[in-house]
Amino acid sequence: MEAPIAGHCGPRGSAMAAPGQRAAAGWGRRLCTAAAPRPWRLFGALCLLRLPRITQPLRREEEEMAALMGQIELEKSRYSDHEIRKLEEEEQLKRRKESMYDDDEGPGKTVIMAQDLEDKWEQKLLQFKAASRITDADKNNIRTSLNRKLDSNLMLLVKQKIGNQELWLLPQAEWQAGETLRSTAERAMAIFLGDHIQAKFLGNAPYGLYKYKFPRSIRTEDNMGAKVFFFKAFLQSNDLSQAELKEDYLWVTKDELGGYLKSEYLKKVNQFLLDL
Amino acid sequence: MLAAAIRRLGGACAAPGGAWLSSWLPQTVQFRGSHWQTSLLAFKASLPMRVQPKKKKKVDIKREQAQKDRMKKKIRKLEKAAPEMIPIEDFITPSKYSESNRVRSLPPLSFEETERRVLLMKKWSLYKQKQDEAEKKAIQTLVAAQQEALKELRLESEELYQAAIKRDEGLFPFERDGPNYTPPLPGYDPPEGKCIDITKVYTQ
Repeated sequence: MEAPIAGHCGPRGSAMAAPGQRAAAGWGRRLCTAAAPRPWRLFGALCLLRLPRITQPLRREEEEMAALMGQIELEKSRYSDHEIRKLEEEEQLKRRKESMYDDDEGPGKTVIMAQDLEDKWEQKLLQFKAASRITDADKNNIRTSLNRKLDSNLMLLVKQKIGNQELWLLPQAEWQAGETLRSTAERAMAIFLGDHIQAKFLGNAPYGLYKYKFPRSIRTEDNMGAKVFFFKAFLQSNDLSQAELKEDYLWVTKDELGGYLKSEYLKKVNQFLLDL
Repeated sequence: MLAAAIRRLGGACAAPGGAWLSSWLPQTVQFRGSHWQTSLLAFKASLPMRVQPKKKKKVDIKREQAQKDRMKKKIRKLEKAAPEMIPIEDFITPSKYSESNRVRSLPPLSFEETERRVLLMKKWSLYKQKQDEAEKKAIQTLVAAQQEALKELRLESEELYQAAIKRDEGLFPFERDGPNYTPPLPGYDPPEGKCIDITKVYTQ
């Protein structure tokens, strides 16, 4: 899945040329409108994360350590009231069996033993069935549902048309004059998911950047390439039934990103995604 | 006091103890404002008699005032003293757990078991060290990526940069319900019940 467009290279050549060009145009008083030539088009992209809903399974070392800690705690502890009661009742039972004290306690008197209580609690626990940690969506690998991979972060990927190509990308929108880049990202979310989605943006600053030059056929003096600024947000609303998703979309984990994104783009995105 | 009174009056007769009052006042029995005031004309003569009640009053007043001051000082000292610390219940082991019958009786650990434990601890510390290093490295890449993005943004437009480095007021306080062991069961009806809170509340 190598990029057919040659311009999708990293900032190898552009980083050298860009500061020289923009030094003349950039510093000094800047107007919001494009009075000075700005060869880079700006995009705001959104990395919408669905946070994990269940805990991750323990690794082997963690399990061993947890078992050891439990053992040490047991060794250092004292008997609780319940355990003392249990021990005493066991002693009584043993004494009764050995010396055949039938009529001592009286047959009519029913005593609830600690062991009976424990059995009762065990029964009650077995009657309760918790939801399973691996959902149906996991088993069938339905990547469009939010209910899969409940123990890791899920990211939204949409198919967008860039130039003359359909690519899988993080949802992005072009920056328009008069808005901050964060509002561009919010607009991107509204375009792809509708207005009723609540997401908590993590700050005003972008998390990462992807810079690319347009292919030579489209490239002009004013329009060299594009810069995509990534913003991170946590998905707050739980169900997306109200979302009007127009294009193709996917919810993927960090490991599965490699199957969809281009290598350079993937490299930049991986830099600001924590390994969870 | 009786001897002094007799001496001052020029001691008419050594009156017996109980009838000393009547021996003092032969003529002015008719009208008296108080049993201490003999007559208006004999005011001066009764002056020495006021010495005794005056002494009492002075001493009384002085004594009472001294007592009140002492009480006030004590109250102020108590108030100034640091307020009593609220005991942390978790740190105080109730005494009933130190009884001997409570001690657990377990077989002593074998040599292999202690060895296994020590080796496991060492492996654990190595594991945690690697985990910590990986986390720190991830955070460093995160910060580096953000710095690069901000640098490029500044090259693009100064005001967008200023808007980006502004503090986001709505971000904190950030609340989130942590992940559980199992996902929520759809259509679960929790059993009815009342939760009675028996935590002890201390006031200072």
